[in-house]
Amino acid sequence: MTRRDFSERDIHLALDGELPGDERAAYDAWIDANPEMKAKSARYTADRAALRAAFAGVLDEPVPVLLKQIVRGEGATKVAARQSRWWLAAAAAAVLVVGGLGGYFAGIDGIGRDDGADDQLAEEAIAAHVIYAAEQRHAVEVPASDKDHLQTWLSNRVGLKLVAPDLVAEGFQLVGGRLLPAGQGKAAMLLYEDAKGQRISLFVTADSSAKSKGTYTADAGGPEAVYWLDKGYACAVVGSLPREQLAAVAKRAYGQLVAGLAS
Amino acid sequence: MDEKKAAILGEIPRLRRYARSLLRDRDSADDLVQDCLERALLRLEGWQTGESPRRWLFTIMHHLFIDQMRKVNRRGEAAILPLDANEAQAVPAEQAENAASREIIDALQAISPDRRAALVMVAIEGFSYAEAANILGVPAGTLMSRIARGREELRSLLDDTARRRSIRIVEK
Repeated sequence: MTRRDFSERDIHLALDGELPGDERAAYDAWIDANPEMKAKSARYTADRAALRAAFAGVLDEPVPVLLKQIVRGEGATKVAARQSRWWLAAAAAAVLVVGGLGGYFAGIDGIGRDDGADDQLAEEAIAAHVIYAAEQRHAVEVPASDKDHLQTWLSNRVGLKLVAPDLVAEGFQLVGGRLLPAGQGKAAMLLYEDAKGQRISLFVTADSSAKSKGTYTADAGGPEAVYWLDKGYACAVVGSLPREQLAAVAKRAYGQLVAGLAS
Repeated sequence: MDEKKAAILGEIPRLRRYARSLLRDRDSADDLVQDCLERALLRLEGWQTGESPRRWLFTIMHHLFIDQMRKVNRRGEAAILPLDANEAQAVPAEQAENAASREIIDALQAISPDRRAALVMVAIEGFSYAEAANILGVPAGTLMSRIARGREELRSLLDDTARRRSIRIVEK
């Protein structure tokens, strides 16, 4: 029997089948004599079983047809043209890491972007917000008191069926809206205000072929945009609210906008 | 060539599982698999016969994943907002997950991507340390320490969740 000192490291080796066969008996004796290590080993074993169970079902799922078509060369997708959305989930993971575990990505600066459509939308929306949300008497072209006309007019100009979301539950009242240029087309801007005079704006355009979502800040400390792009419409909610509040407002606005578009 | 394609087809379920464990969201995971398959097909010539298709494909996918993880820093908080049209209209997103699975999947998403990949590679996908280190492109010692720390983090995150759950029960 091999004599050597074991440590917690060996628990992983044993669990993963990496412990040399001739050390197994000595390891078993060691772990039996160390209740703390034994408990740890049992816990890791249980966690691994839970992990395997949680993902076991994936192997039984039918493979999406698209994936099979790609391999068979039947799909007409062009690699460069297709927008990949999976980085969104990756981004969420990165945030959890930064927030929770001491800045794993803290040392990595923002690296180049793959595509500009979402940035452009967010930048236009932020620029419009910075200019018009600061205006008192000339913030909007059509006031909320003329809401029906506002909605009809902007819908016709932008080319989308636009319904001004009701954000009263989030504490925001519609101030009004205006028409703006955006990319090659036009955008509707809807301005909202809460009881404290804080303003947020919704920026909606039909000029979109990309599919994306995310948040964007042009300057540290400046207003933030939460945006979605989909085929045929894009929307950004801009404000200087705490992020969770902005996200809540944005979610409510988005649900109503999408429902309105489809109505 | 068709033999190679058949081998790739056979690996799709495994690739989907690995992607799901890295990214959680089903559509995002399948997008990653799609990117991986597209890249693999472009490089079909470079795949040496004799090399395991699984190891080859996992390597491609892992590189895609890590490259993107490094790029997303600036757009950061994107998916922390559950903002798909379906979700906004309050359709429950995950139907098949039970509570225990959800907890461990949440915890797995919360550990750093490098550790997550290392742990999943060995604990779920069943690669040996040597294979996993090769796929991830790190020395065996680095792999080992990622696995050990990953397990430790996972355990403590699960403990936190359990503690919060019991506090909620007490408060009721």
